[in-house]
Amino acid sequence: MASRRISRRKFIQTAAATSAALAFPYIRTSYAAGSLSVGFWDHWVPGANDVLTKVCQDWAKKEKVDLKIDYITSQGNKIVLTAQAEAQAKSGHDMMTFQAWDPLDKQNLLEPLDDVMGQLVKANGALDPAAQFLVKGKSHYVGVPAVTGTQVKPPCVRLDLFKTVAGVDILEMYPTLKPATKAADNWNWDTLVKAAEKLHKEGHPVGLGLGQTTDSVDWVGALFHSYGAELVNAKGDIVIKMSDGVKQVLEYMQRLTKVMPGDVFAWDDASNNKYIISGQGSMIMNPPSAYAVAKRDNPKVAEHLYTIPMPKGPKGRYAPYLPFIWSVWGFSKNKSAAKSLLATIWERGNVEKIVNGSIGYDIPSFASQRNFKIWEEVAPPKGTVFHYPPKQDQTLSMACAPAPANIANQMYVQGIQTKLIAQCTQGGKSVAQAIDWAATELEGYMRS
Amino acid sequence: MAAVIPAAGQSAPARRRGGLARIARRKSTIAFLMALPLILLIGGLVIYPALYSIHLATLNKSMEHFVGLGNFDFLFKRDLFWMVVKQSCIFAVSAVVFKALIGFCVAHFVHNVPAKGQRKWRGMLLIPWVIPPAMSTLAWFWLFDPSYSAFNWVFERIGLPTITWLGDPNWARFAVILVNVWYGAPFFLIMYLAALKSVPEQLYEAAAIDGASWWQKIWYVTLPMMRNIISITVLFSLIVTFANFDIVRILTSGGPIDQTHIFATWAFKLGIEGNDIPLGASVSLFMFPILAIAAFFILRDINRRGNEA
Amino acid sequence: MAAVLGASSAGTASAGSMKRDRKRALYWSYFFLVLFAIFFLTPPVYMMITSLKSSAEIGAVTNPWFVYHPTLENYTALIGSEQYLTFFKNSAIVSVVVVIITMIISIPAAFALARMKFWGSTALGMGVFLTYLIPETLLFIPLFKIFAFVQDTLGIEMMNHYWVLMVIYPTLTVPFCTWIMIGYFASIPKELDEAALIDGAGYLQMLTKIFIPVALPGIIAATIFAFTVSWADFLYPMAFTTSADQLVLPAGIVTILIRGDVYAWGQIMAACLLGALPPLLIYAFLMDYYIAGLTAGATKG
Repeated sequence: MASRRISRRKFIQTAAATSAALAFPYIRTSYAAGSLSVGFWDHWVPGANDVLTKVCQDWAKKEKVDLKIDYITSQGNKIVLTAQAEAQAKSGHDMMTFQAWDPLDKQNLLEPLDDVMGQLVKANGALDPAAQFLVKGKSHYVGVPAVTGTQVKPPCVRLDLFKTVAGVDILEMYPTLKPATKAADNWNWDTLVKAAEKLHKEGHPVGLGLGQTTDSVDWVGALFHSYGAELVNAKGDIVIKMSDGVKQVLEYMQRLTKVMPGDVFAWDDASNNKYIISGQGSMIMNPPSAYAVAKRDNPKVAEHLYTIPMPKGPKGRYAPYLPFIWSVWGFSKNKSAAKSLLATIWERGNVEKIVNGSIGYDIPSFASQRNFKIWEEVAPPKGTVFHYPPKQDQTLSMACAPAPANIANQMYVQGIQTKLIAQCTQGGKSVAQAIDWAATELEGYMRS
Repeated sequence: MAAVIPAAGQSAPARRRGGLARIARRKSTIAFLMALPLILLIGGLVIYPALYSIHLATLNKSMEHFVGLGNFDFLFKRDLFWMVVKQSCIFAVSAVVFKALIGFCVAHFVHNVPAKGQRKWRGMLLIPWVIPPAMSTLAWFWLFDPSYSAFNWVFERIGLPTITWLGDPNWARFAVILVNVWYGAPFFLIMYLAALKSVPEQLYEAAAIDGASWWQKIWYVTLPMMRNIISITVLFSLIVTFANFDIVRILTSGGPIDQTHIFATWAFKLGIEGNDIPLGASVSLFMFPILAIAAFFILRDINRRGNEA
Repeated sequence: MAAVLGASSAGTASAGSMKRDRKRALYWSYFFLVLFAIFFLTPPVYMMITSLKSSAEIGAVTNPWFVYHPTLENYTALIGSEQYLTFFKNSAIVSVVVVIITMIISIPAAFALARMKFWGSTALGMGVFLTYLIPETLLFIPLFKIFAFVQDTLGIEMMNHYWVLMVIYPTLTVPFCTWIMIGYFASIPKELDEAALIDGAGYLQMLTKIFIPVALPGIIAATIFAFTVSWADFLYPMAFTTSADQLVLPAGIVTILIRGDVYAWGQIMAACLLGALPPLLIYAFLMDYYIAGLTAGATKG
């Protein structure tokens, strides 16, 4: 019986693999016990995928599972598209990586993962509240935060340019390998725009993306939170017109965009990296992937790059958080294998391996795991990512929170917050007109 | 022989008539069977989905309830929708005008070159149309890149201001039209070149004797002779350009601030990325009436002139 | 007399000025042709230049129009990359199969429409042309739903398999190929038909022994067209295939090769060039057929 099952599996595998398979349609059967197909996010940091692959293959060998891994990029929204297609077709990978609001939006299609989460919380302590918010559905956990890809996007600055041109001593505020000092209270949006004005004059402007991809949407979301600017409240009402914070944000951005490059409105997730690696940029908001590539392709620039926490706003210091979430589809044929894989990847030893492989890019969602050595070790310059993982002084901000998930998903994917800024800067509208425009757009997201 | 034939002719028609009827029926059934795959293909994969998309456009977002024209009602209230309509029309019309113009002019230039060299020139100039548009658009994307644009590099060296090709809405529109013209003009070139060759030389000589200048020759000889082919190519290109997806998607994805969205890319964003299939279907459907109107006018023009001829 | 003299002198004068005109026209023509050639050929040339650069050289913002340290590493990386070769293989399989399917559908249909009148034939002829009014950008959404539905109910995997493309691409190629073939078939003199009929040939034999050989240039042109369109289509693969092993070249290059924050543009350009090679090669060797096929409509009205 077992041997027959294996040979049938092998037959279908080879049939699918060779081009002869095209001759007959691939009929779904339920043989799939013992095989698992997984869609992971394709990492920005060169070489990081391989570490995750090894961890998974080790598990697969031990559990005797036939594992197939796909690395799907977030460029061009590919990973979002794949999730949509699989949701429509009700078939695809067993375990899939979702972005931000998506799992909550699709909770009816996802397998409850309370058992896995229970295990993880027992081993590692409580989840970060922002992550908890995104994986807890109406009645059960819809996913587990992903180890790879979960990131924050704080400023990545050129120490030399900020010191000599803008007169801001970053190291005084965030010293090498030491916690933030009192001087860091001065690191707020006001300081930033003043520095940006000076840097713009010297031809090294600050470059903060205002396009519709996650790099732009995330930091703008944190900006909005730090001013207490709300577009849609937790009940789902459009409150943008009543929010003073929104007006303040827009007026601030009108000042800041004057000293940023004109094309930030068209930036995608790669543009800001290219901007700082080329040596022209003095600051972007990005996880350390830009640093990783600069280290390989332009070391002269890399040795001045330093990651620091976000500027403080009137309502606090918010770090732009982009979680990826691993969920199991309800139509999966091998849920137990998927759950076992999830639990294994989240073992502390494996998490440390993966985070090291990404040179500290990945932020574990358990506060107890944010003390790995890697963040002290990456250099040059020394301590370049020490201040990257968010510590107590920063609240994690999920852009578009606290809006209900289906509305927030639309807001996020359509980039309403960045578009709102673009309307009253490049678009030439006044702040009031831009707010009116956004209100009508938001009505559109209420569709069901 | 002559005597035999009428005799054969006499009996043959009777036989042939009965046989003819059979053959006629057989012929039409054979013909029908030969055309059947075509009918099935078009019926099943073009007509049926088109009708289905009308059905989809009447559903709500989760596709559970019937909302009639609700989706269209929703769309008509959105500024963005009308902007997309306007952008699509401007994009299609200006791109086609430039393509036709360039194709027409360059066809003349190639025509002027001695015949031996024409093949070489024709070969070189058709290359943009042969390269798959997805790949050539990537090359343009890299040429327009904000940080690494090769064009801006040249501009810096000669003292011109650098251009934010894809960042500024107007330049982004220009870039999209430029790439489309680059890609499509060779098609017009080839068609017009062939048509030029079929204009009889005597007409030009007659015009020359009458003292016509070069542009008068074009106006009074060339253009009238080529009216049909110009109409057909313009119609064909209008449809294809209006429904274009590749170029905008790769260059700008509709940005910045949705200023370069055309029907296809916006339908993709709403329907597939935004998980709102009925809305995406509604947007796509809106293309059809516009295309049909354009097609109707141009076809009527062709038919009328065809009847005159 | 004066009129004749006037005419002849005008003739010689205009003949002389015509020669001068023609020479001037020739120089201007060459001048503009060179300009347009530069315009048309810049992107492919730039693709080639970039593809010979290493990523370090690209990142270093040196002269983008010149290669200082040419390297073939991008090409070797691609040819050694299993993923890229899979894209190539998928594209090749899909295109070849679609061409065969297209020919099987178009040629008989064109024959029937060009030669035999049957109920609805004129309507069908017009209808074939009108299908171009329903562009793929309108159809991809309902098709998306239809395929998902078929997969759900019948279990036939339609989503995320490249053989779906073989089913859909003919909708893009068949109408135009049929149209080309009708043009060619219609221009075959009817005497050939009658001669064959008298010799006792059936319609099938007429098709295979007479029409296809005589209209071979048209068939080649249609084949080239069908291949090129299948190779280059972008929207349908983007909408219907997502896994790396199912993608065809255009969708594969754009979605998978563009990875990570910083583009490996040398490799992407090399991938584009290699991906454009089959259509370019076919074009280079069969250019006359290609152009003849396209213009069949132009001259035959």
